[in-house]
Amino acid sequence: MSKRKSRRPLAAPASAYQRAIRQADEVLSRNGVDVRPDNWQQLALEWFAPHEPDRSELARYITAYQDRLGPRWGKDVLRLEVFFQNDDYKAVIAHYDQAFSPYPRCALIEMWVADRIYRQGGDLWRARQMYRHALDELPNQAKPRYEMGFISYLLGDFPGALEWFSQAAALVADDDIQLRSRIFYNRGLMRYLLEGDKWAAIADIEEALRLRPDYPQALEALRGLRGTPRWVPW
Amino acid sequence: MVDDSPTLQIKQHWFPTKASGERSFLMRMEFSLNQRPKGTQPNMAEVAWSTGDLARAMSILPSIVPPKVREGMRRLLQPWPAGRYTEAYRRSGGILNLFTPPWGEEQDEIWAAMLARWQTHPFADADEKKAAYLALEQQWNTMPHPFFAGLTPAQVMVGGGPREAQLAEEFLDQLKHKYDGQPFESEGEMLMKTLMLLRGWQCQPQRNGQRPMDIIVAERNELLAIRARALAQRNQP
Repeated sequence: MSKRKSRRPLAAPASAYQRAIRQADEVLSRNGVDVRPDNWQQLALEWFAPHEPDRSELARYITAYQDRLGPRWGKDVLRLEVFFQNDDYKAVIAHYDQAFSPYPRCALIEMWVADRIYRQGGDLWRARQMYRHALDELPNQAKPRYEMGFISYLLGDFPGALEWFSQAAALVADDDIQLRSRIFYNRGLMRYLLEGDKWAAIADIEEALRLRPDYPQALEALRGLRGTPRWVPW
Repeated sequence: MVDDSPTLQIKQHWFPTKASGERSFLMRMEFSLNQRPKGTQPNMAEVAWSTGDLARAMSILPSIVPPKVREGMRRLLQPWPAGRYTEAYRRSGGILNLFTPPWGEEQDEIWAAMLARWQTHPFADADEKKAAYLALEQQWNTMPHPFFAGLTPAQVMVGGGPREAQLAEEFLDQLKHKYDGQPFESEGEMLMKTLMLLRGWQCQPQRNGQRPMDIIVAERNELLAIRARALAQRNQP
């Protein structure tokens, strides 16, 4: 859970996109990045997927499709990362739509772009379809399952949300503190809501708090569950 | 002197998206069909179900109701199809579905999966295959659908009643109070926050200990039972 949330104001899409591309290229230039035929793969990995499990997944994608990718694709991946780092969700979505359509679908890139598409763009249905693709292509990743659970919750499908959170809980790495704590917290609430299982809910929320002792919603939920049973807002 | 003539009430609400604001008009139309006009007189939906006479049902509407609204209500009062209630995709789904971004057949992976199973199932003959398809449509109509916030398409079709109308008003007041005038960076952020508030609210027990989602489902089931009784009486020889 490393790509940050957007804090940019709304702007006109067409001209704003061209401006964003110029700014991204300036950032790359300032960082001494020169994308060439001999380094585009390495740069894409270093910039977009510096950590596991994303790094292995992007490496697998590059190996599988290296004949169809190349320096231009590499540069577009770097630009996308600059937009993520700048929290410019409109540029992330516009760039993904304009630059990546000629290439084979990359589930890892889609998984991160889908976040922006629904959390800032509000398009739940498009994001859901992208996460579905990520589920098939990234069977060992917890994140798309967590996001499917969260979207199910937003749609009011609580049984679906519990199922996805449980799948995510089985896959999430111990050291992915942000994602793991959110999965367990949300699963705890769903367990309480659907099954009335107060102790299972408390166990999940305690796991979230073990990872993030200052998690405010989890602290409030735990207080609520230990006191008078009531629904604690998400 | 008591005046019970139609009155115009102006009230402002806050909506996160244009689509949800527009859908709120449809939701209110659906509520009004199930609202009793006076005392024990039947409401518009009951008149339409029990008589099949849309003109008679529409005559309950006060004369000040504009033609566009009349047209919308007439559409809502149309008899339901014998097969799948695809019109449910175009209904509001009430307060529980008010903010869900528009969706339809294309997104309905539940129906797609049911259809795929039917298509690959070996049937003895064409009659058996057709019968299975008809049964499948009825199954879709009556099973809780995850994209309708757990309502069945039939529960969506029947619309909300007076209790849901009151709950919806309470939630919309709460939403306005919380978010009107607040700065948001995107429509998506407004939508997320609204949906999170809604899902928390629908699970929070009211003073009577009942959760809004349970009250809403129970009322829609009551309305479906009234409809079933009305249709049965109408079809009696």
